[in-house]
Amino acid sequence: METRELFWGLTSFGTTVFYLIGFSAIGAFFWGLARSVAKYRRGRASPVGLDWRAGTRRMLADLLTHRTLRRRDPFAGAAHAAIFFGFALLFIGTSIITLEYDILNPLFGVTFWKGQFFLLFSLVLDIAGLAVLIGVVAMMVRRGAFRLPKLDYRRAYAGEGELRDAARRWRVEDWIFLTALLLIILTGFVQEGLRHALERPSWGAWEPVGASIGALFDGLQLDAEDVSILRAVNWWLHGLGALAFIVALPWYKAKHMVAAMGSLMARDPLALRRLPKADPGAEAVGIGNVAQFSWKDMLGFDACTKCGRCHDACPARAAGYPLSPRDLILDLRLHNDAEQGRGTGSKRLLGDVIDPETLWSCRTCGACLEICPVGIEHPVKIVQMRRKLIENDQLDPLLRTMLNTIGTSGNSFGEAARKRANWTRELEFKIKDVRQEAADVLWFVGDQASFDPRNQEVSRTVARLLKAGGVDYGLLYEGERTAGNDVRRIGEEGLFESLVEHNLGQMKAARPFRRIVTTDPHSLNTLHNEYPDFGEIAPVSHYTELLVDLLERGTLKVTRPLGLRVTYHDPCHLGRLNKRYDAPRRVLELIGCTLIEMPRNRDNSFCCGAGGGRIWIPDRPGTLKPSQLRVQEAAGLGGIDVFVTSCPKDLTMFEDARKTAGFEKDFIVEDIADLVAKAIELDAIDLRDLPSLTERITLAVAERVAAVVADRIDAVLAGRGVTAVAGLTLPPPPVPVAEGLPTASVEAIPAVGWGIVPVKPADLPAYDVPPRNGIRILVPVKQIGKLSDEFVFTDDQRSIPGEYFEYLLNEWDDTALEQALRMVEAIGGGEVVVVTVGPPAAEETLRRALAKGAQRGVRVWDDDLADADPVAVARMLAGVAAQERPDLIITGAQSGDQANGATGTALARLLDLPHAALVVDTDWNGTDSMLVTRELEGGLRHRVRIDTPALVTMQTGANVPRYATMRMVKLAKEKPIVELAAGIPECAFRAASTHRMFVPPATRAQMMEGSPAEIAASVIKIIREKMGAKA
Amino acid sequence: MSGILIVAEHTRGALSELSGELIGAAVGVKERLGGPVRVLVLGEQPEAFVDALNLEGVDEILLGRCDTPHFDAAVYEEMVLAAARQGEPGLILIGHSANGLCYGAALAVSLGSGFAADVFGIEIGENGLRATRSGYGNKIAIEVDFPGKPVVVLTVRGATFKPPPGAGTAIVKELAADLSMLSGRYRHEDYIEAPTAGVDIGKADFILSIGRGIQDEKNVPRFAGLAERIGATLGCSRPIADSGWLPKAHQVGLTGKVAANCKLYLALGISGAVQHLHGMKHIETIIAINTDTNAPIYNVATYGAVMDVFEFADALEQASDAIGA
Repeated sequence: METRELFWGLTSFGTTVFYLIGFSAIGAFFWGLARSVAKYRRGRASPVGLDWRAGTRRMLADLLTHRTLRRRDPFAGAAHAAIFFGFALLFIGTSIITLEYDILNPLFGVTFWKGQFFLLFSLVLDIAGLAVLIGVVAMMVRRGAFRLPKLDYRRAYAGEGELRDAARRWRVEDWIFLTALLLIILTGFVQEGLRHALERPSWGAWEPVGASIGALFDGLQLDAEDVSILRAVNWWLHGLGALAFIVALPWYKAKHMVAAMGSLMARDPLALRRLPKADPGAEAVGIGNVAQFSWKDMLGFDACTKCGRCHDACPARAAGYPLSPRDLILDLRLHNDAEQGRGTGSKRLLGDVIDPETLWSCRTCGACLEICPVGIEHPVKIVQMRRKLIENDQLDPLLRTMLNTIGTSGNSFGEAARKRANWTRELEFKIKDVRQEAADVLWFVGDQASFDPRNQEVSRTVARLLKAGGVDYGLLYEGERTAGNDVRRIGEEGLFESLVEHNLGQMKAARPFRRIVTTDPHSLNTLHNEYPDFGEIAPVSHYTELLVDLLERGTLKVTRPLGLRVTYHDPCHLGRLNKRYDAPRRVLELIGCTLIEMPRNRDNSFCCGAGGGRIWIPDRPGTLKPSQLRVQEAAGLGGIDVFVTSCPKDLTMFEDARKTAGFEKDFIVEDIADLVAKAIELDAIDLRDLPSLTERITLAVAERVAAVVADRIDAVLAGRGVTAVAGLTLPPPPVPVAEGLPTASVEAIPAVGWGIVPVKPADLPAYDVPPRNGIRILVPVKQIGKLSDEFVFTDDQRSIPGEYFEYLLNEWDDTALEQALRMVEAIGGGEVVVVTVGPPAAEETLRRALAKGAQRGVRVWDDDLADADPVAVARMLAGVAAQERPDLIITGAQSGDQANGATGTALARLLDLPHAALVVDTDWNGTDSMLVTRELEGGLRHRVRIDTPALVTMQTGANVPRYATMRMVKLAKEKPIVELAAGIPECAFRAASTHRMFVPPATRAQMMEGSPAEIAASVIKIIREKMGAKA
Repeated sequence: MSGILIVAEHTRGALSELSGELIGAAVGVKERLGGPVRVLVLGEQPEAFVDALNLEGVDEILLGRCDTPHFDAAVYEEMVLAAARQGEPGLILIGHSANGLCYGAALAVSLGSGFAADVFGIEIGENGLRATRSGYGNKIAIEVDFPGKPVVVLTVRGATFKPPPGAGTAIVKELAADLSMLSGRYRHEDYIEAPTAGVDIGKADFILSIGRGIQDEKNVPRFAGLAERIGATLGCSRPIADSGWLPKAHQVGLTGKVAANCKLYLALGISGAVQHLHGMKHIETIIAINTDTNAPIYNVATYGAVMDVFEFADALEQASDAIGA
């Protein structure tokens, strides 16, 4: 019966020793694992619920098909498969042997490892071993000779010419791993060969590799004794080597074998598509310390095999930004290994371990996440760390401005919300307003498509296409705000939540609609994947899916197939993240275009670079925009007519890149809708909303009748000698009185006796002022109105209706508030109290000030104060100050809307306080006097010392006001605001009253038209005329 | 009420242009409002300014002697109050300047007068004095009246009114004022010069000025290079200097420099805030490039184009290359 002897030549002592070592090794292995598990357990719970069953099924499928490894690197996929399956078979083989030898045989006397089974077994294992050998050698060649960029640990973006120490150790670890495997396999085969050389089994052919090696040894002509010694020694080498491998496994690269399985099981199918909500109970926002990562994140760090696929795929890295997803994960791993999940060390996660610049470089395109063979979710970690940066106010000033803009006007263009649907004005028909009329489809337009001029053209084309296709659709008009996809990915979770709340509210309050369509993949992603976390929402499709439907049904008829050679760019948020690749391709097919795919297409599409908020952050010098690399890729195809996009940001980025990279002659960039419009000859279709036929007939008849009657009347009147009734023409409009002309003489001025009547502070109702606890600084703030470009005056011409304004905190008062907060922080105690004279809507501005750090707010109002002048306002503020009795009053030098620059100074006089205006620097330690620096004309500065209590008015530029996240604004709701009704008699005082408002006649420059080159030429001409031949 | 009281302004021995402009504004309404026009000048040696203030239409020059040459808001306020009690003017004109902002509104409170700030038009309406000022970033004009006020204090916008051309025949008087109750809660320390950084906007004849439209600090060198290439001095608007992208010496505007000798001004990405216009609207030829077709700068510019400033910079570079600069 064919079988073989185990533990050949070993004494029982030796066997016992081996078993002891074996059990110890396994024990050590589990201990090593346990240590890692303990580390993971110190992490937080995963914010996303896990479906273990589905995860396990998916992981097994991943492993058995090796699909995550084969993609885009077939060589590595094949080599790894050889190693993996070979190793797996060998492991199963050893387990089978153990099963019989250690369990079934001694306990039950059952043996099966013999005969046919044994022979088959031996053959399979031999081949398995050979596969591992070939695989390992292939990997060694790959690592040693292929010079793959993704295996280069040097950080080019950090200017590294050489490997740093940690990276050197990684390289050593990589080679140790491969070498260890190689040695184990080789010693195994040597063992087999020696056995064959000594025993020459009859069934030797069933172990072909072993037999061959045996023959080799034969050839060496060693004597039997030497071979025996060799066999014994090699046995121990192999055995101990294998056991050492097991012991060491949890401590170095080999641990990926376990960690990867865990990571793949725990993978979130919606990772990055649907980001985790902020934990409302948690104190901290985002991740600022390694202990705040979840166990799943930590497992992910350990699962990384440094394969470099993410490094290869990342568009930010390719464009020269300091971000490599691989390096990010490895740096986090090194840090977590040092911290063991505790986060108590001295290194700060954000700053020392990870540079904020790295985090801000991410485009959240998902390329890294998508290609990672072991399921690491890099962008989700990046966004969570960004949340912390935002909370800490560590963001680019332009980004800060952008978030403020979105918070105020609900869009990223800073345009008034009421202008959102202005792009529809040029259409020859009116689009339904879903807020008033039900429709089948709600078209969610998005910022870029609403406000960017080039994209507005595309929006109009899409509107026409949908109308021509008979789609019953409508818009939310001004009710729509940015969906917030990128706001969330920047990390301003609070602002995102308020946008979701608003948009869902608008949809709920609107008339019924069945589904949502959008031209913006970013909006699609968040509406479809993230909004359901907050409330119910209708299903969301992309407009290309709608176009396919219309074209296939023939509702839109292709009358002019285009016959163009095109290439199509899959938008990250439509393609890779949401797996929608086919609809746009089908559209291109139906309109008669030949699609030439770029090398990187579909899931491997190369991001345009605008995502993750990057379209709002300025680029560093020395970097390219990823879009420039992409158009190069397209140009490399040769003979392309059109570069087709289906995302507004893509259109903007690629049109720009095409010009800056110099490919204007190679191809044009067009949205797919424009191509469809050409193919169906949209221009020839009449889309006007014509009145019904009956209406048109009636109107025509009426006009005729009126004409006849008018002639008759004329004839009759002429007969009576009366001229045509002049009343049919309107009187000419009244000529506006030219400003500056006096309408009365000196005598008409009412005589008022001259006298001095000093103004007093207003007498306001008393309220509970808490007892003082340190310094008290009072900061009067104003909610100013930013006037939109189009507006009208009220009938009395003395004001402008509120709907034409956007309201925000006055920039000068923001500076004053910041100065006050810093003073209190520097002195180390005290409170900042904000006060405003404003209607209930102004409470929002007080809340924002409270969010930034003020402790209490006071709001004074009476409707009669609506047109109050600075002195009247100052009286009210003085009434509050009289009760608060602050040590210092700091306010803005002027307001952004009226720019009187007077309220602060008037307030100082009302309270008889020493004061200084236009202050750019203060130096006060909380005691009797302070040194202030005023800014005069020409930039000259004047320093004066004033006694305190005092009042100063701040000039902008004195400091950079801190950013208040929406979360801080929400928390500020707890802080108290006192409302004081001013009382009628007190409100009556005015130092001036508005007579009228008007738009001043404006002169206008002579506008130059033409191409940039033409305009530049005109300018050069003017320069030469005025300055002589200098330019 | 009778007459108009003007408060002259000076810093470190130099009389500000605003003083003459205030006189011009007063003389403009003198006929309708009634004289006399009195100018109050304060300081250690106020007589030094008499000649410069003796312009056509001025009736009296009041010298307010005090023991400091430097601006002190409390002193100014007290002196003006003294002059007002004596002369009972119907109108008091102060410059809308860094100093004027320190006491103009305070004066209105002390007097219980009418008040309007940054005024660029003064007329007589059916309710008496009427002032015109701007609102909402210079987008609209507002006319205000002061019913029931025997005296009105106005702070007047600079570079708006013209000083009278000729010389006057004013009587010079000393103003008697009691400053003893002033407690000295405000003490001058020193002046700090604006750093020059080797740039003299005041002398430059050709300026290329950049504003918020250039978007990022990293773009500044590119425009500096462009300015050099076409032979212009590099200027900027306030936000650029505030953010530290350029030294303050490059700033054109009210708190920056007035481009007094400039003949040609190229404004790139500048919207045209009032304070910036103060420094350049007088220039003969102004070319404005901006992406916002409604930017106020086009109201003072001679030529304009609505386009991207980077595209313009590129095109200008190429055009000037073609000429072989």
